[in-house]
Amino acid sequence: MQGSEERPGRAERSADPEGSTSDVHRRRFLRRAILAIGAGITAALGIPAFAFVTGPSRTGVDEETWIRLGSTASIEPGAPPTLIKATVLRRSGYLTEEQEISVFVTSETGTEFTVLSNICTHLACRVRWVEEQEGFFCPCHNAVFGPDGAVVQGPPPRPLDSFESMVEDGQLYFREA
Amino acid sequence: MASRLSEWFDERTGWRGSWTAVFLRKIPKVNWAYTLGSATLFVLVLQFVTGILLTLYYVPEPQQAYASVDYVTNELPFGWLIRGIHHWGASAMVLLAVLHMVRVIAYGAYKYPREVTWITGVALLLLTFAFGFTGYLLPWDQRAYWATVVGTEIGAVPPLVGDFTKDLMLGGDEISGLTLSRFFGAHVWVLPSLTVLLVAIHLYLVVRNGISAPPKRNE
Amino acid sequence: MDQEERKQYLEDYEKAKKKGIPFFPDAVFKDAVVALVVFLVIVGLATFVGASLEEIADPSDESFTPRPEWYFLFLFQLFKFFPGSLEVVGVFVIPMVALVFLILLPWTDRSPRRHWSGRPVVTSITLFLLAGALILTVQALLEEPPPAAASAGGDQVAQLYSTNCSGCHGSAVAVASRDELLEAIRGETHEGMLAWNPELTADEIEALVGFVLSPTGHVLFESNCADCHDLDSLVASDAIELRRAIDEGPDYPPHENVGVPVWNEALNSVDQGKILAFLTAADGQRLWTQECASCHGQSVAVSGGRAALEDVIRTGGAHLDLDAFQAAPGPDDIETLALYVSDPPAAPDGAALFGRVCAACHATRVPHAADYEPARRLIAQGGAHEITRPWGDFLSDEQIDALVDHALRAIELPDLTEAARLYSQNCAACHGEQGEGGVNPTRSGDIIAPISTEEYLATRDDATLRAIISQGQPNFGMSPFADTFGGPLSSEQVDLLVAFMRAWEDDPPVDLPPEVPSGPVQAADPASVYLALCSQCHGDSGEGGLGVAFDDAWQQSRTDREIFDDINLGHAATSMIAWGEVLPSQQIQDLVSYLRTLTGEAGTSAALTYDATIRPIFDAYCSSCHGTLGGWTGTSYEEALTTGIAGPTIIPGDPDNSRLVQSLIGTHPDGVVMPPSVEMSAADIQKILDWVEAGAPER
Repeated sequence: MQGSEERPGRAERSADPEGSTSDVHRRRFLRRAILAIGAGITAALGIPAFAFVTGPSRTGVDEETWIRLGSTASIEPGAPPTLIKATVLRRSGYLTEEQEISVFVTSETGTEFTVLSNICTHLACRVRWVEEQEGFFCPCHNAVFGPDGAVVQGPPPRPLDSFESMVEDGQLYFREA
Repeated sequence: MASRLSEWFDERTGWRGSWTAVFLRKIPKVNWAYTLGSATLFVLVLQFVTGILLTLYYVPEPQQAYASVDYVTNELPFGWLIRGIHHWGASAMVLLAVLHMVRVIAYGAYKYPREVTWITGVALLLLTFAFGFTGYLLPWDQRAYWATVVGTEIGAVPPLVGDFTKDLMLGGDEISGLTLSRFFGAHVWVLPSLTVLLVAIHLYLVVRNGISAPPKRNE
Repeated sequence: MDQEERKQYLEDYEKAKKKGIPFFPDAVFKDAVVALVVFLVIVGLATFVGASLEEIADPSDESFTPRPEWYFLFLFQLFKFFPGSLEVVGVFVIPMVALVFLILLPWTDRSPRRHWSGRPVVTSITLFLLAGALILTVQALLEEPPPAAASAGGDQVAQLYSTNCSGCHGSAVAVASRDELLEAIRGETHEGMLAWNPELTADEIEALVGFVLSPTGHVLFESNCADCHDLDSLVASDAIELRRAIDEGPDYPPHENVGVPVWNEALNSVDQGKILAFLTAADGQRLWTQECASCHGQSVAVSGGRAALEDVIRTGGAHLDLDAFQAAPGPDDIETLALYVSDPPAAPDGAALFGRVCAACHATRVPHAADYEPARRLIAQGGAHEITRPWGDFLSDEQIDALVDHALRAIELPDLTEAARLYSQNCAACHGEQGEGGVNPTRSGDIIAPISTEEYLATRDDATLRAIISQGQPNFGMSPFADTFGGPLSSEQVDLLVAFMRAWEDDPPVDLPPEVPSGPVQAADPASVYLALCSQCHGDSGEGGLGVAFDDAWQQSRTDREIFDDINLGHAATSMIAWGEVLPSQQIQDLVSYLRTLTGEAGTSAALTYDATIRPIFDAYCSSCHGTLGGWTGTSYEEALTTGIAGPTIIPGDPDNSRLVQSLIGTHPDGVVMPPSVEMSAADIQKILDWVEAGAPER
């Protein structure tokens, strides 16, 4: 670039920036080129950077396995929902961590089981069973869910999540359906 | 619409004046060697961007440092690219900074009225080396560890202050998790802050005094 | 630059600016183009070279060779030029001077000149610094980086190097020649460096020499051979076999069916040479032992001088002409000699005759002939009875040189009678007359291992032995013996002792017990564990042997705890290994209790049986004659108890009236003492006695 500027004649013109139309054209081209290069580098770095930043969240959902909750004998038919804790290994990035998941389990018959999430569908506070109200109570915004998880009162947009369950060898399993 | 918006902003920020002063100023005719400074600045920006991205995953604790760098390099999408750019960017930065300095020496550009610009430049070169040295340890692999053993040992050689320098670098008698976290702190907070400050001064002076013209033979 | 010049400059600059260009977009465009190029280069490097990640840092792995980033290499290299107390110059003074030069540049260079040609001093200093940094960097890059050792998985030599040498020598040593290096490691020819031989075996020293001199060979060994071969098993091995293994590739018998490549295609001849040079150092003594000693013994007579000897070795061929023998000794002498070489005990006069006639070439080594007849024929007819190889094909020039040197040195045969006197005066008290070792008088509870075993002598070359004798082994209670170290012996006398020990090598007086199979021992009952493992050295009943006897004195001197530790940890200086690696601690505990039941007197153990104990004794001492000559035969249990010239030779339960026992202890009325030629050990005789006493059980 500089080389061409050094040629006699052109050097003279470039001494006056606003001087000639060819300079105006040249500068317009330069401005566009700078813009293009800047945009190119930004994109070449920005797109991988976006994938880099969002990487873990896009590879996370693979835990579709059955999670064991324990013996079915501990759940009495017709009794109020029991909070059962299960420990699962969750892999996040390079770390594998033990995570505790709690769910409410009820059974009317002793053979069919309902597994409900204990996470309020409003803002993810943990709900608790309140015997007097015959429902799940969320302490954050006083929401109440019925025994089947349906919204009775308060802001939650949908019923409590219910999970698919399965009994094998007297052990109760659930998974996120 | 666009011009009204820029008018609105100009009235409140005076950006047009700054733009004219910084970008539309006239400079002597220069050759390609004068792009070395801006190229160094470009790589510095590149290092800042990729460095910030890397801190999203990096943990300055020996076991996790290695595991997280391994994860970034081998598992994360484009992790190899981000780390690769940061790694090679360090080399490019050193190379460009040195070439920039050679250009300045060759053209006598450190002379009046640019002495202060020169001093900040030398300091920035030292900071660049310090970046390289502190960053080298962070992956906590064999190469990193043993190069740091040697590097800190070298720091202990100068008389009187040697032992103190070494202890200061290591955060103890030998390389440990403390060394790693202080190298991390230096690499991510101390050095970048100093660098930003010095680069700001450097650039301000470049704009204020103007870029030096390539001297002719008789100058 | 004075006021005037400054003003002048500012004016000139204003003019230059007027004629100049706007920063944006003209200059910024160039900047953008360069930024794009830089970006593409960096992304290219990140993509195609990448950022490596090595193994996780391991502070205990000291074998890793640190290399800094390339932009610190010039500093790294600079430090190499300032060893010891000068270190501060390289590390601190020079970089500081360079830095101060940079910082003060605007004030040291005060002239108004700006073009580089107008500032010769600054320009040349800058060029000097730049060129210096560049040269140092290139130099550091070109230096063959030593292999990263342990992390690559058990590279033994590199390990050896890093534990013993790298502390002082860093990653590489510059040496003049192989000979010099070998000498420097094992001798004390290198100032400030201790002799390494007492600590390293000859094999290890040789491996180090190979490592230092032929790093490429070492790398080639690691990549081509190390998957299957321990370095120990290949270093310093037979040059001919190594050459053959390479030449024959997969056809080399031991390499059949293991999938080795055709080495002649896989490795070029230069690389082959490097591997061979790495594996076989030019060590004259070792080469002699491997290649020449089987025929020539300790030395060979040379009549033609160095050049002739070198020529004979290099070209090989029939260098042995025995024509003189037909004339000199008479037929009787030939027969005596033939008998002597095929069966030494049968020819008592043989030794003297051999010394007179053959020792000129064969030195002290008596060649062993399998049969009498061929030996007689060979001696009678003379001629080239053995053709030597053209060693020039197998050995490098350096190796041949070393070999010739050694051969010439070895001609000066030492006087072994004086040596024997020196040995019994100075060494026998601790090491035993035959070098069998024994209780260490300087350290209670310690046992001195035998020094006359084949294994001991083979792994220590003369220089090592010399160093051990001269400097002693303070850690094991051995004082220095050379007068240079304050001992009683002159260096000639030390040499004599070395020669004396070396003479054991042909026929080691002490055999080590067979290797004990590793891995957990199955037998749970302490008596069988004792018989399987301990009895080899300590005797079947704890009566001792190579190891201590578990007699009353011993029983009283050791506590249970100490005995447990002895078994568990072993003794470093002896062949008592740390059994804790083999036996579970419960079994060691049981063994301790079992040892307490022993009295150190043979015969208390009821475990003597024909199959386990007696048959091997018979096989060793008796069966060569009994079994082919008629009369009593001991080769099977039935025959042992039933055969005999005058009725059964063994009467179970009655040793006194058993002819076998009578013959062994010399109480037989005929006066026969068996065995006739060799002496059976008292322990073995005792075993047979006890066995007969116990009713001569079969198993």
